[in-house]
Amino acid sequence: MMAAGLVIFAEYWLMVGAVVALIFLTIGIDRIDEDARGAYIFRPLLVPGVLLIWPLVLWRWYALETGRADETKRYKAVRGAHGFVAIGMAIAIGVIIATGLSIKQTWPDHIAPERLSEAGQ
Amino acid sequence: MSVKYIPVQWNLNKWMYDACMLAGVAAFLWVFIKVAPGLLSHERPISSQIHNARAFGACAFLMLSIILAIGPLAKLDSRFMPLLYNRRHFGVITAFVATAHATYVINWYFNFSAVPKFEAMLSSNTNFGQLLGFPFEAFGIFALLCLLILAATSHDFWLKFLTAPVWKRLHYLIYPAYIAVVAHISFGILQDQQSLFLPVFFIVTAFAVALLHVWAYMAERKTGDPLATADGDWMRICQADEIEEGRARIALLPDGKRVAVFKHEGKLSAISNACAHQNGPLGEGRIIDCLVTCPWHGFQYRVTDGQSPAPFTEKIPTYNLRVQDGAVLVDPHANPPGTHVDPVEVA
Repeated sequence: MMAAGLVIFAEYWLMVGAVVALIFLTIGIDRIDEDARGAYIFRPLLVPGVLLIWPLVLWRWYALETGRADETKRYKAVRGAHGFVAIGMAIAIGVIIATGLSIKQTWPDHIAPERLSEAGQ
Repeated sequence: MSVKYIPVQWNLNKWMYDACMLAGVAAFLWVFIKVAPGLLSHERPISSQIHNARAFGACAFLMLSIILAIGPLAKLDSRFMPLLYNRRHFGVITAFVATAHATYVINWYFNFSAVPKFEAMLSSNTNFGQLLGFPFEAFGIFALLCLLILAATSHDFWLKFLTAPVWKRLHYLIYPAYIAVVAHISFGILQDQQSLFLPVFFIVTAFAVALLHVWAYMAERKTGDPLATADGDWMRICQADEIEEGRARIALLPDGKRVAVFKHEGKLSAISNACAHQNGPLGEGRIIDCLVTCPWHGFQYRVTDGQSPAPFTEKIPTYNLRVQDGAVLVDPHANPPGTHVDPVEVA
């Protein structure tokens, strides 16, 4: 039930994304990016991206159309999270591998089978 | 750098980079599938579908590990910087390899289920409440989804459209993706392996990636960009004679942005340290042919107005600057991108 629901959700997500891609890549992109005007061959390459992150596309399109986008933030490099990522990832990798090894089941498959009773008994 | 978008900006360096990468992928798959089944505990009869799935899965893991190692390696030693140049192509190929792995798995294990194969994949193991037999497939699905998002948003259009900071945050997904891959392997194939080769390869590689990130972070903390100090309304960056010709000194401003003060032909100019393309550290680059050149992907800007030379259209903010008693002072309020500021003579 849950699995079927997830598959249906994914299908609807992609269908909405296809509609957004169609509108954005034929109308929207020319309105918000001068470098895209007259450039068409690259647009099919953007379709998978729009299918996957269409809410972000709609948000950004809206921000650019309405002038709400704060363009000064464009030059503030994202570097503050490096430490958190480095330490967090190292800890997560260690914990996960240790957990995986600790629950690993072993069986004596390298020992030849031993007959415990005579045949026919 | 391009004026109009094109599908892929090829050049000789990128051709060579991609050729080496694809040759490496082909060699890995060939060795895994044809040469070393004994090493990998595949002497037991398994179907070619499973063998292929394992080969592509191992290849994707190794590629993802290399991609993640390139960043810290380039921070620790600039000789690795060229590997950064075309890392996005590396990521896209990795997503294809990971998709091939998933396709083999789904088509082998779930294709003839009573319910559609994707539904069967999601419902075949739902023991989320226990570690032993945990549905490791969920980690793989999450990681693949992340890799597909990263690959699908790798074109330069996305950088400009989303802005580099938002794009970077989105591409931070590579870290949870890698953690998910490690979990996918730890709770999956690692549980089944009887030979030592694959577990050792996996554990050494994963810990190498973790160690490199911690090492690079510690090194950056030690030698990181200094905070600019207040001097009235201006910010003190460094002494003018500390800046080498053609190079820059970087400082962190109170608003969290970084400024790079370059010396060119004996005069000083201050520009944003963040490249308009991917926010690469311009101040770690140098002036080539009178243009500040980003060390990551070679985007170039005039040092006096932060504009790329025509016909390119990229531009970055500039800063007003003065030299007082040999000290370089910068106005912390950035000028709009592309604003000309006369370079200041070093007294």
